[in-house]
Amino acid sequence: MIKVEHIVKKFNDLKAVNDVSLEIKKGEIVCLIGPSGSGKSTVLRCINGLEKPEEGSIYIDHELYDENDKDKYNQLRSKMGFVFQHFHLFPHMSVLKNLTLAQIQVKKRSEEDAEKIACQYLERVGLLDKKDEYPNKLSGGQKQRVAIARSLCMNPEIMLFDEPTSALDPEMVIEVLEVMQELAKEGMTMVVVTHEMGFARTVGDRVIFLEDGRIVEENDSETFFSHPKTERAKEFLRKVMH
Amino acid sequence: MFSAFHKIFTPENMLYLAKGALISLGIAGLSLLIGLVFGVLGASAKISRSKILRLLGNIYVEVIRGTPMLLQIMIIFNVLPIMVTHITGQVFRLNYYVVGVIAMSINSGAYTTELIRSGINGVDKGQWEACETLGMSRWQTMKLVILPQAFKRIVPPVVSEFITLIKDSSLISCIGAVELMTSAKVLGNQYYEFMSPYCLAAVFYLIMTLSISYIAKRLERKLAVSD
Repeated sequence: MIKVEHIVKKFNDLKAVNDVSLEIKKGEIVCLIGPSGSGKSTVLRCINGLEKPEEGSIYIDHELYDENDKDKYNQLRSKMGFVFQHFHLFPHMSVLKNLTLAQIQVKKRSEEDAEKIACQYLERVGLLDKKDEYPNKLSGGQKQRVAIARSLCMNPEIMLFDEPTSALDPEMVIEVLEVMQELAKEGMTMVVVTHEMGFARTVGDRVIFLEDGRIVEENDSETFFSHPKTERAKEFLRKVMH
Repeated sequence: MFSAFHKIFTPENMLYLAKGALISLGIAGLSLLIGLVFGVLGASAKISRSKILRLLGNIYVEVIRGTPMLLQIMIIFNVLPIMVTHITGQVFRLNYYVVGVIAMSINSGAYTTELIRSGINGVDKGQWEACETLGMSRWQTMKLVILPQAFKRIVPPVVSEFITLIKDSSLISCIGAVELMTSAKVLGNQYYEFMSPYCLAAVFYLIMTLSISYIAKRLERKLAVSD
């Protein structure tokens, strides 16, 4: 479903992503893990198009994801939903408006249809009662669930999560992970940049471990966590699985 | 010092000053509105992807902010009619008030350009990215997400700009426009005493500026609902 071929992304002279290739199949849940600055978020942002790699190619459903072909690019991008670490809800709009805005503007749905769909997803993330609140009245966990619902309203086939629980208080993490777990059960293709090793192990199908912009190790979750191959992955796991 | 105060402080004279104050307020208000249009255009130029537009935006802001408003008024009052007369071959004169509004709009536009630009830049970059991932166009993002948030940030400085314009409208008294400052001067000449009419003019200026500050504070509180 997603194929990344030899992408390189530089920030000034620093290669944040250095010759990364990977493939994600339909329905698969792939977790990108690694130390800070390893390039995992940049890979995810390249997949969505938020960062433009200097080298390499990305294919979505076997089609080249190329910004120069605007129509194709927009059509392929609409297959992906993106959830940010800091939610990025629209602070001047109610929760409901946050969910209906892009539906009306991009999907050209009527306000009535958009609200109906928004309410369905808000119910799924357990926040229908908050639909008239402004984001500033929500907890971090609630904001992230709204952000997930906002993405789902656009009917993506792939969900990209960029450290969705890193900005949350510890007790808020579980409510977000539960929503993600539900999505996984429903067969959503997911790429998750995370520090939640428990989630990566139990929910993830595959783990890609990165360091210094390169893939160091790639394996199915169980094998990666029980029998990591590389010394670097072993050391990383020793430090985070305390 | 206030020898003629009892003669000046009459309903007729107060009405005369109030009329002058209304003209000052009208000129300042109109200049602010037109200046905001210039400001939106200037800010759009300054944040555009085109180098030429960015350069033009910068020249506009720097030239206007770097020269006194009185000089700008004088140039428009003296030079513009000569230029138009030269081009069209017909004698062209500009009304004092029109000169005032043109000069103050151009001047205010330069300041609001910077206010709007910094308001837009002050909105979290993540808001652009969120819209991008949702498939919204740059224009949709600007109109529906960025500008409404920038607007809240620029309300207080735009109010300050309005207050500045009300005070600066006194500058057009130099070209003969009869606004509050000139009205006070006329009363002073009439009664050979200037302290009383100038102090009364100050009271009128204060009534206008303080009222605007009060309205702005209420507006800010209303806009702060989502903060």
